Amino acid sequence: MAPAKTKKSAKVVASQEEDITMDDAPVAPQEHEDEEGEEVAGEDQAPPEDEDTLEQRITVLPGGTEQAASFQLKEEDHTLGNALRYIIMKNPDVEFCGYSIPHPSEALMNIRIQTYDGTAKDALSKGLDDLMDLCDVVAGKFQIARDGYMNSEAGKADQPEA
Amino acid sequence: MDYDPMIMDTEAMGPSVKITEAGSHHVDFELQTVDLAFANSLRRVILAEVPTMAIDLVEIEANTSVLADEFITHRLGLIPLVSKNVDDVVYSRDCDCEQYCELCSVTLTLHARCTGDEIMKVYARDLVVAPLRPNQWVGNPVITDPEALGTVICKLRKGQELRMKCIAKKGIAKEHAKWAPTSAVGFEYDPHNKLRHTTLWYEEDPAKEWIKSKYAEWEEPQQEGEPFDFDAVPDKFYFEVESVGNLEPDAIIQQGIKVLQQKLAAVIQDLTEGDANGNGLNGGYDGPRSPDIAPAWQDQGYTTPYGNGGQASAWGGGAATPYGATPYGQNGANGWN
Ligand SMILES: [Zn+2]
Repeated sequence: MAPAKTKKSAKVVASQEEDITMDDAPVAPQEHEDEEGEEVAGEDQAPPEDEDTLEQRITVLPGGTEQAASFQLKEEDHTLGNALRYIIMKNPDVEFCGYSIPHPSEALMNIRIQTYDGTAKDALSKGLDDLMDLCDVVAGKFQIARDGYMNSEAGKADQPEA
Repeated sequence: MDYDPMIMDTEAMGPSVKITEAGSHHVDFELQTVDLAFANSLRRVILAEVPTMAIDLVEIEANTSVLADEFITHRLGLIPLVSKNVDDVVYSRDCDCEQYCELCSVTLTLHARCTGDEIMKVYARDLVVAPLRPNQWVGNPVITDPEALGTVICKLRKGQELRMKCIAKKGIAKEHAKWAPTSAVGFEYDPHNKLRHTTLWYEEDPAKEWIKSKYAEWEEPQQEGEPFDFDAVPDKFYFEVESVGNLEPDAIIQQGIKVLQQKLAAVIQDLTEGDANGNGLNGGYDGPRSPDIAPAWQDQGYTTPYGNGGQASAWGGGAATPYGATPYGQNGANGWN
């Protein structure tokens, strides 16, 4: 929006590269600077869908085990959280799945998975794939229903021309 | 279209969609055999995350009207613009250009001057769309009234003038409501409130005082003395999607599902890439942590995960690990450092 936001003068690009290398560098004692670098990056590209950044969208929160882990997703909210929670819970290998948004003014979503069998990460992967398939099915069913309706008498009556 | 029927409980046929009404600006449908979480995700995504076009930058050359620059700018932003095939437009923030270009924006110019004695109205149709744009539809003001005028932007008296250049960009309603594809999304389930998800306020009898939803006759009402079903979950969801006119109603639904899938794809990609280069997933050591759980977490539930304060746990309490010196001073304070 503001003109300055998307400006990419040589100077700005250079400083951005500095940020990236800093993020990529092995975790060093200077946590504070790391944090700052992240904040700047987050501000530059407003909401989600930032393909050209190397920023990790999902992290495993430390302190978990293979079978019980919490994941943190950036720029996600109830839209993905609740549907994902539900679909992961449907997996019989999963003992528990829950999600939370730790703070309303941070665009972060945590999802906790505990399994009976298999790793928590596999359960998450399966959940994501299952939800993807469910979306495909619903999109397909909607298209069929709509085409059917448009060809029906009611549909023709509703659509004078367009 | 095959997927694990396990997902959808007992119904092996999976979700179903029934269109009950549709027109050029709305679609009403019934989504069945999905769960509340998914239906709500769909509602949220079509309400706030389907991309459309809207005026985002205005360069004002002249404004001698009675309205302040920012007042007019705000009105311009809210004019719905045709967003058909908006996928052809890139987000300005992802574009390689300096500020905006014909790949990531549409330029509309407005030039109006009142010369007569009558008050002149400036309409959305007076916006002139520049020929260079991502595709032939994107950026046209939505005009649906029979006189083909569009919305009123401003009124001018004799001698007053407006001259401005408007830059329309792609965006989502989560950022600003002007990018909303829908004016409303009706979302309803359980018209008889059998699940007791809501409490109806009443004076004497809720059944008499509350007007029944139009979907009430589509579902079996609660029988007299019928016991409450604790296992019941909502299963039928009634959507009423009302388009602003920038996208066709069915395109809104399809795009909404696509946005949801893009979110999933982004996470899947990160998850697998994090795998590939070995490091990826684990976040900074100073960040938040998984809940602290006891090693035998699959116990009978007698112990809480928080019980083993300070004791050496399976994670080697007290040993110096990279997790050690966090700014939060957890070192040695509990079992998992
Ligand atoms: Zn551009």
